[in-house]
Amino acid sequence: MLELQNLCRSFRGIPAIQDVSFKVAPGEVVGFLGPNGAGKSTTVKIITGMLRPNDGRVLFEGQDIRKDMVAFRSVLGYVPEEAHLYNYLSGLEYLQLVGRLRGLSEAMIETKATRLLKLLHLESWQYSPISSYSKGMRQRVLIAAALLHDPRLLIFDEPLSGLDVVSARLFKDLLELLAAEGKAVIYISHVLEVVEQVCNRVIVIAKGRILADAPPAELTKLMSLPNLESVFSQLVQQQDTRATAREMVEVMRIADER
Amino acid sequence: MHKLIERLAGYLPLDFRVLYRQFLLRVIDLESLSIQADVVRFLGQFAGVLIMISLISAIRAFVSTIAPPTTAAGWLNLEWGTEQSAIRTMMLVVGLLAVISWDSTFPDRKDVMVLSPLPVAPHTILFAKVCASGVLVGLAILALNFASGSAWSLILGSRRGGLGFFQFCAAWWLTMIAASAFLYCSVLTVQGFTALLFPRRVFLRLSAILQLAAFGLFLGTYFVQPSFTNPAEMAACEDHWILASSPPYWYFALFNQLNGSLPSQLRWLAIRAWTGLLLAVFGAASSLLLCYLHTMTKSVEEPDLVPGAGGFHWTPSFSNSLQTAIALFSIRSLTRSRQHRVAFAFYLAFVFAIALSLLRSELTADSPHPVTLEIILPTFSMMFFAVAGLRNVFALPISLTANWVLRTTQLRPTEEYVAATRRTLLLLAVAPVWLLSFALSFRFGPVQHVAVHLAVLALLGWILVELCLIGFYKVAFTCSYLPGKANIQLQFWGFVIALIAFVVPCAQLEESALHDSMKSAFMLTFLFASSCALFFFNRYLARSAVIYFEELPDEGITTLGLNA
Repeated sequence: MLELQNLCRSFRGIPAIQDVSFKVAPGEVVGFLGPNGAGKSTTVKIITGMLRPNDGRVLFEGQDIRKDMVAFRSVLGYVPEEAHLYNYLSGLEYLQLVGRLRGLSEAMIETKATRLLKLLHLESWQYSPISSYSKGMRQRVLIAAALLHDPRLLIFDEPLSGLDVVSARLFKDLLELLAAEGKAVIYISHVLEVVEQVCNRVIVIAKGRILADAPPAELTKLMSLPNLESVFSQLVQQQDTRATAREMVEVMRIADER
Repeated sequence: MHKLIERLAGYLPLDFRVLYRQFLLRVIDLESLSIQADVVRFLGQFAGVLIMISLISAIRAFVSTIAPPTTAAGWLNLEWGTEQSAIRTMMLVVGLLAVISWDSTFPDRKDVMVLSPLPVAPHTILFAKVCASGVLVGLAILALNFASGSAWSLILGSRRGGLGFFQFCAAWWLTMIAASAFLYCSVLTVQGFTALLFPRRVFLRLSAILQLAAFGLFLGTYFVQPSFTNPAEMAACEDHWILASSPPYWYFALFNQLNGSLPSQLRWLAIRAWTGLLLAVFGAASSLLLCYLHTMTKSVEEPDLVPGAGGFHWTPSFSNSLQTAIALFSIRSLTRSRQHRVAFAFYLAFVFAIALSLLRSELTADSPHPVTLEIILPTFSMMFFAVAGLRNVFALPISLTANWVLRTTQLRPTEEYVAATRRTLLLLAVAPVWLLSFALSFRFGPVQHVAVHLAVLALLGWILVELCLIGFYKVAFTCSYLPGKANIQLQFWGFVIALIAFVVPCAQLEESALHDSMKSAFMLTFLFASSCALFFFNRYLARSAVIYFEELPDEGITTLGLNA
């Protein structure tokens, strides 16, 4: 369904991603992992058409998305990393805006928006401005907006951030059902336990390059490590967190000599 | 001097100094101006404008000595005109400061949440905020009067001989301080008691409306208020209520009382000034104290998440879903963003002032007026201000980070986005001005001329909208702008030149064509044809255009000239 071919993008000469290629099939949930600054957001921005690659292309059902961006956008649902919303709109008004921009009929918007808000426990807040929402509530509005038009490809960038335990569980169940519906899902997260549970495949990216692309179980088996977190640490060569924490406590203890 | 100030400041508590500095940088309403890190620069520019006004007034004072008035009445006219103008300008400046520093003297939720866990006493916060606001007003008084006050005291005060200069100078400064204190404290009183009387949610909505109302009131008063050139004229003023309800006249009377030149029949105005000042200061002090005692506790007690009220939620529908989305997005952005509301209110204040002056002249007239430049020019100007103002406000971005949703849902051609923006401009600028003009034309006649004028006005509005849309391939409030590209001074003068070059000839042409039905028909046909031509031209251009969300700098190649 979705195929990335040799994507390269640099900013002011500094490469953000190099030669990024992978495929996502219908009904597949692909975890896209990497430390901060690895190139995940750049890749996602290219897929959503917000950024042009310097090289390479993105194919959707064999067609370059740039050839018919409108058609591609109409099947794409996207939940960005940061819950950037128009804060002065209410949750319902935001969903209505998105629905209208997507060309849905008023009746359809009304039905879907109110039901989604109710299911996401936002019914009582639907007329309140988003500025008064908590982080989790904003995240739920974003999830509702991404599902409004029944997309075929879904990109979730840190969707669990700010969500409470119940909403997070609901989201995990939702992912499974979306995959069963034949949707292609790209799932970006730092919560590796969840990735391990819900993703069919995991792609690890660091310093702009793809380091691994395999099912989680296969990765742990291949590297003879107990879980995905250990695999991830090994692959991206994370810093010695214990030593850093010790140093932070030392800084905290510095006394004022006045 | 610098060391002395530093030493004196050293006696103040550290927490007060830290907070005072913070509040001074935040005293202007960042939400309404959206300048964030440029506060210091903004204040510098603002002071620069005031100093310039002061210098121009001082030059006027010295120029008046080249051909001085020859009679006592002439001198009196000059003195009264100068004093009234100076007080009005001072009150306008302080009024505008009160608008841009709206609510900043009162504790907001952020202050409470950030400062409550820290070892800072509420009274320190109160004093720091009051001092920051006071310094802002003080700087404005100083910048606006340092040159003009000295120059006019020298020219007008010295004429009295002896201590005349000093008396005039003292009267000038004391009046300016009193008038400024009255106005600023009155605004604080209104804000404070509104905050105390209403629940926070209602207050926030009401406060935004009050801010706009105050803005319109200050600008409207400045432009509409008549000037009196001698005591007889003022005492004989038929509309006694104008004097009684206009603080600038009270402080004008106070000025003359302090200067020792107040006619006895105007003493009541000076009494009003003193009473007003006392009430305003008392009101501001008590409302501030009460707010700091109650609001800070209330802010902490207020739940973080409160479900919204059901209420009435009507969403009008326009021709298609995209037009509905863009029009409603624009209307909601404009009405709910303080920055955009204030910016648009600046233009609307001119419309309001013109409409008021038109209404006043109509109400005082005995018989119906013929349709002359007296109505044509003001209505054309209103249309120009409303359309150009809204177009300028559309260019101010509201939340750039949230634009991703518009980018990822861009499923229709640019042409449809342009059509949606056109509809919004027609709905928010042209229609209200046209309806206002229609209402204001009730005293004009004959009916045919009024009908032709209103038709011309509608077509002119449409033409202005089409002109505004040329090259405007963006959704209102969503496009970033390059720093330095929005050259405000150039824009302002461009605006004035366009107003004179476009509106005045149009008004003159209409006036000359009104009395001839053939000419009127030709004028209407021509305007309609022009509107249609511009409409199709914009549609044609939009077909090959791309909606953009970022202004990008022109790519340029710099030649180093190393071959030479």
